[in-house]
Amino acid sequence: MVAPPALLRAARSRPALTSPPALPAPFWTLTAGGAGAGPPQPRRGRAAAASSIRRHRRPPPPPAPRHPPRPRSPLRPTRRGRYRQHNMAGAGGGNDIQWCFSQVKGAVDDDVAEADIISTVEFNHSGELLATGDKGGRVVIFQQEQENKTQSHSRGEYNVYSTFQSHEPEFDYLKSLEIEEKINKIRWLPQKNAAQFLLSTNDKTIKLWKISERDKRPEGYNLKEEDGRYRDPTTVTTLRVPVFRPMDLMVEASPRRIFANAHTYHINSISINSDYETYLSADDLRINLWHLEITDRSFNIVDIKPANMEELTEVITAAEFHPNSCSTFVYSSSKGTIRLCDMRASALCDRHSKLFEEPEDPSNRSFFSEIISSISDVKFSHSGRYMMTRDYLSVKIWDLNMENRPVETYQVHEYLRSKLCSLYENDCIFDKFECCWNGSDSIVMTGSYNNFFRMFDRNTKRDITLEASRENNKPRTVLKPRKVCASGKRKKDEISVDSLDFNKKILHTAWHPKENIIAVATTNNLYIFQDKMN
Amino acid sequence: MEFKLEAHRIVSISLGKIYSARGQRGGLKLHKNLLVSLVLRSARQVYLSEPGCPPEPPPAAAAGHPEEEQPPPRSAAWAAEEPPPPPPGEQEDMETGNVASLISIFGSSFSGLLSKEPKGRRRPPLDGGEAAAGTAPAEAAAEPGQICCDEPVLRTLNPWSTAIVAF
Repeated sequence: MVAPPALLRAARSRPALTSPPALPAPFWTLTAGGAGAGPPQPRRGRAAAASSIRRHRRPPPPPAPRHPPRPRSPLRPTRRGRYRQHNMAGAGGGNDIQWCFSQVKGAVDDDVAEADIISTVEFNHSGELLATGDKGGRVVIFQQEQENKTQSHSRGEYNVYSTFQSHEPEFDYLKSLEIEEKINKIRWLPQKNAAQFLLSTNDKTIKLWKISERDKRPEGYNLKEEDGRYRDPTTVTTLRVPVFRPMDLMVEASPRRIFANAHTYHINSISINSDYETYLSADDLRINLWHLEITDRSFNIVDIKPANMEELTEVITAAEFHPNSCSTFVYSSSKGTIRLCDMRASALCDRHSKLFEEPEDPSNRSFFSEIISSISDVKFSHSGRYMMTRDYLSVKIWDLNMENRPVETYQVHEYLRSKLCSLYENDCIFDKFECCWNGSDSIVMTGSYNNFFRMFDRNTKRDITLEASRENNKPRTVLKPRKVCASGKRKKDEISVDSLDFNKKILHTAWHPKENIIAVATTNNLYIFQDKMN
Repeated sequence: MEFKLEAHRIVSISLGKIYSARGQRGGLKLHKNLLVSLVLRSARQVYLSEPGCPPEPPPAAAAGHPEEEQPPPRSAAWAAEEPPPPPPGEQEDMETGNVASLISIFGSSFSGLLSKEPKGRRRPPLDGGEAAAGTAPAEAAAEPGQICCDEPVLRTLNPWSTAIVAF
């Protein structure tokens, strides 16, 4: 039985729980915000009485009234070393979102157990489920509670739905290498029946997990007692037909497919195709195409390994299928380029159909230019028209129709440009930040240091910096925008670059596909924020 | 001049990273080691260039790259050769503390860093295919170990020596 990750452990400040989790532990959670925690008990299902497992989906909210856009202040040119920021959640109306703290999951202690470090966060297609993977190889899935009629001013909370050990550490005896169990990526399959499916991967192996609910069990066997013991056939005098009786909801996770032994290098991405039958997995030098039903073979569709490894100059850093076109995918490289490939062109897509690359600014040249131009994440917009890439200092939005430069560039933490040498020394320059779109592709979000995360509104061109911290613990507290002062006089409430905590980094964020709910992962805590509902 | 100091510091930091990457759990990370090697190469270029020269842009590094990616004898060279004594007296009057400690770790294969022999470094690139340790032609010095110290030494700084063995 898996030890529950710290995500589920009690925060010391809550006295309600009487005992630490014991094995086998029932699933429970403690949230710092929202309704108080009950005593530890198995997850109660709402549909225990109903025969259908499907939850009632509340109708989509009416579209927000559109206000005329506020006149923009003239943009000041950004200079190196200066950081200008326009606040998004300011006074006034418009479509400004006010973000409120909703929940936080995880331990409060400062010393982080390495296995509890969150390594991936992903909402499913409906947004009802939120999956996290950690360095210890565990997957924790949270489910959104149905909206409570009495609590109409907040959306449902996310509580633990299922926890399982997805990957275990392995040892490659041939190479004398240990294979980490850290979950690199989780991707949900769209729901086709009552069960949920997700793909989770570590460095070498991808697994398809089925998460299903069981709320009925057959009772009334003739040859078996209720506790499982077999009855002596001679004692059976009458016959009866077993019937299904409701039981306490049980959520089970079982591995349905294991896709192994296809990658020599470390897997960095998986992406499910829009045909929902195939998916790709990418490592540093190769991309493989799998069929979800077939585990004993995969097709290699991209191979950038040079004949002589010593000539290697770039590696694949991320790959994703196009959301609508099932033969198109992109992969990004450590040199800051993105290649779009069409599988109809040839079996091996070594020759790209499009190459997206922005010429480098020669004035920004330094020893570390190559490192900071390495793309750490690439994500298509929901529409499929745009894609977003994240490199160390910026987020770029590309129009698939234009290859020579991005259409939008947002500086995430330009004030770090002068600190690259120190960031190289402490390895922070190798941090791989991810990025995400909101449901309508109007806002993009990414993480930074000091537990800050940033959002950029593509329409209003405004941006905001928020902090994921337990100090804003009350639910429905509106988060205060943060500011980093790069140089010069530090104003009140600003934080100077030198006092940023580079150990507190937000690498993984996720945005609910339909609503303004975001999940932000700090090192070992998961924060959930929502917009303020009136 | 400060470029050279900075370059020197970056070289030693990079070497330290490559060394510590060996014992990492999960095996060598190709991406990170590639990036470190790119930094190492740019810093090395600056370090080797004339004093006072600004750092060269990467196109130059890319041009210099093929010649530097010539297959060095891999770790076989490092492991097999007995480290010859470092070139005497030709120490630059720079901060050698870091490099000295790295020398003790890697053996004097890195003594080439401190050597002022321009000859050893400015030689035209060799073709690929000098895979074996002793096949370095014209500049083959006295004993095989010397090769490691010479012009190839900065090519043996190629971190792929370690990465490739792992992979």
